[in-house]
Amino acid sequence: MAQDPYHIVCIEPRFPGRLGAIADWLVRRRGYRCWFYCNAFDPQAFWPPSAGAGLDVIKFEVGGVASEPQVYWTRNLERGLCYAYGCWEVLDGRRPRPVDVVLGRSAGLGSTLFAPITYPAAGVVNFMDGYLKPREHDITSELDKNTSVNYYAWRAAAGTMDLLDMENGAIPWTATRYQRDSYPAEYRDDFEVFFDGVDVRQFRRARPERPRMIARRMIPQDAKVVTFVARSLDRVRGFDRFLRLARRLEVEFPEAIFVVAGAPIVLRGLDLQFYATNYLERLIKESPLSDPSRYWFLGYVDRATIAEMLGVSDLHVAPGRTFFPPRSIAEAMSSECLILASDDEPTRELITNDVTGLLADSADPDALFERARAALRDLAAYRPLAGGAGEIARVRYDQDVVLPKLARIFDRLVEGDYARR
Amino acid sequence: MNILFIHQAFPAQFGGLGLELKRRHGWNVAYIYEEMTTCPAPTPEILNEIQHKCLDLTPDQRERGPMPWPQIQGRFLELCVAVRRALDDLGDFRPDLIVAHGGRGAPSILVEEVFKAPLLIYCEYYFAKAHKDISYRIDLPKTEPAEFFPRCINGPTILSLVHSAGGYSATHWQKSTFPQRFQPKIEVHFDGVDAELYKPNPNAPRVFGDKTIPPGVRVVTFVSRGLESIRGFDIFLKVARNISLRRQDVVFLVVGAEHVFYGWDQLRSGAMSFRDYCLQHVQVDLSRFIFMNHVPPEFLANVFAISDLHLYLTAPFVLSWSLLNAMSTETTILASDVDPVREVIEPGVDGLLEPLFDVDRLTERALEVLEDPAAFRPLGIAARRKILEKYSLNVAVPDLRDYFERMANQPRL
Repeated sequence: MAQDPYHIVCIEPRFPGRLGAIADWLVRRRGYRCWFYCNAFDPQAFWPPSAGAGLDVIKFEVGGVASEPQVYWTRNLERGLCYAYGCWEVLDGRRPRPVDVVLGRSAGLGSTLFAPITYPAAGVVNFMDGYLKPREHDITSELDKNTSVNYYAWRAAAGTMDLLDMENGAIPWTATRYQRDSYPAEYRDDFEVFFDGVDVRQFRRARPERPRMIARRMIPQDAKVVTFVARSLDRVRGFDRFLRLARRLEVEFPEAIFVVAGAPIVLRGLDLQFYATNYLERLIKESPLSDPSRYWFLGYVDRATIAEMLGVSDLHVAPGRTFFPPRSIAEAMSSECLILASDDEPTRELITNDVTGLLADSADPDALFERARAALRDLAAYRPLAGGAGEIARVRYDQDVVLPKLARIFDRLVEGDYARR
Repeated sequence: MNILFIHQAFPAQFGGLGLELKRRHGWNVAYIYEEMTTCPAPTPEILNEIQHKCLDLTPDQRERGPMPWPQIQGRFLELCVAVRRALDDLGDFRPDLIVAHGGRGAPSILVEEVFKAPLLIYCEYYFAKAHKDISYRIDLPKTEPAEFFPRCINGPTILSLVHSAGGYSATHWQKSTFPQRFQPKIEVHFDGVDAELYKPNPNAPRVFGDKTIPPGVRVVTFVSRGLESIRGFDIFLKVARNISLRRQDVVFLVVGAEHVFYGWDQLRSGAMSFRDYCLQHVQVDLSRFIFMNHVPPEFLANVFAISDLHLYLTAPFVLSWSLLNAMSTETTILASDVDPVREVIEPGVDGLLEPLFDVDRLTERALEVLEDPAAFRPLGIAARRKILEKYSLNVAVPDLRDYFERMANQPRL
């Protein structure tokens, strides 16, 4: 099996984003050299180990409408094109050589669209998140009936950049079949589908003999730790459902604590009603917590902290609306968490009910509560599910299992024998 | 059957077709558009017989002018919302089928919100990254947007196709420009030449404004919506200059606006029109030229009727109606040897083809025709026969009617 190192350009609006961990693996495990082009980056504490040691981070600026703090919905693609152009300008000016492959992720913004102008011979692989349908999934069924037609039009056109990328030769890659099937039927056969990988060395169960800690904070010895993880605490990921559940569990289980990771500000434009607001603050204001000391809101934290948190979790709850599955479920599986998640198509792709986790109708507060209560009452009885989840994660989601598939795609691209599906 | 057309312009492709469907088959026809055009202008019959609704746009939205390429999709989405609003103004009209132009000017992605009727897309063209359309003329000075534009201009077209039940192109070549993944969804149905209007007329007048072309003087014609490089206006001028140096008995009739509809000619010509830019670079005796702007169809039919030679020097792009109209009029045609033209003209049988960039060969062929126009008459006769058999309204309208009915009645998934 070829394991040749390549020179790659990664393009993602923010570093490390989703590609950072992938690039890091390719650099550290396969000897790649990577130039990572981004418009913004997280603090260096969030950067992967190879940054500066084989993985160079290069910032590009954006102009035009992309430099405005808010963009009218019709100008979504225009903003993306500004990102793609801004990246191309820096790329073309610097012209790192040689470049074997371009790996990109538009994340709803810019993309690799113009990179082939500078590197016409390099293959392009784009990691894609999914395609929105105007009136299906996530929070559409809960929208006010007077919601503007503009919102549905925005949704209908939000995936244009992905379609353009594919039409311009990018090989689409996505993490799950559900995400692939969200795209128009004409495009689905093109996709490579495999998870982008969890660092199973990082996401593993904490040793039981050691004191349990999260973010340098000691967990009381007999506490039952209930966790929730999302990039931002929003309705799409079911934070409202989680909090409602936690309030009931809080009464039932005085020893339970609730650890939440995620930015309090809603970052996803899908949720028109609460976008850019502090949703956490709003929910607590509406109904104050009876014992705030039992709620640990960590904010937006690095993967190491997430790993620490999942490593000591007794019950990880992922009660999101039907949407593209969060990577934190795979991380929780890898950490051998007992997981309680929404019983919907995307989640069922990751978790088998009563085998590798618990599924429930997350829209039904009683159903969710009953499953959580049963689990917390007898955690030992449910340990086999957590163990099963860990086993599946090691087979399906371990970086060392899945990222070689990506490397093989690169091999075929470089050798010129990549056959489109 | 009730059919709704959506197009940036009215009457454009669909006006005449809608009228024929109404007249011949009793269909009810509605039409939503952004702009009523003058080329061609709607006839009184079209205005009376078709329920037409102009989009309600703000002056800002209506402002025409060059649209920066990154903003084209935004404009398309604004129009999508305007079309969505216009659907509410159709009263009791409930379409069984919706047919929309699939380009950026016929925004249809929200119609499924209102009507359950299938949406068909008129697949006129899919822009290529290279070697076709505005990317073809690499002989001209390079312009900045050239590499970026084709990578994003097809966004509205792709969205329209994704939201449609199917689509059709007028020619096989047009269909072939679309991505392979959409090919099974696209059929080929021509939209029809009016062979009654465009037919030979030995008595056609030879008067153009204050100029009369005497009998015996050879007439060379060039017709294009805009006088621009994609249709080879600059090459036409070079051929015309060469012809005029060799023959004194030739007049050149040029129909078309001093406007660039496709590509970057305006960036090349700066403040002046591309026509004037070309005239500055190619010295011709302007007294031998008659330039006309857009003309009514009846006038254009006269132009073709007196033409001894029609030059059609397009880059590989959507065929102009003018080519088929000229064929229908039995005009002898010398055209560029590119795939879309080859689909309708068999060289030496119903027209003449030469390489687009070979000005010398084009000139020699043109001079052969002008030396003895009668010797080339069989080409024109064969061309009209082909139009009557394959491309006339009498052939195209029943074919489209059958296609529309089939699509309206097919079960929806």
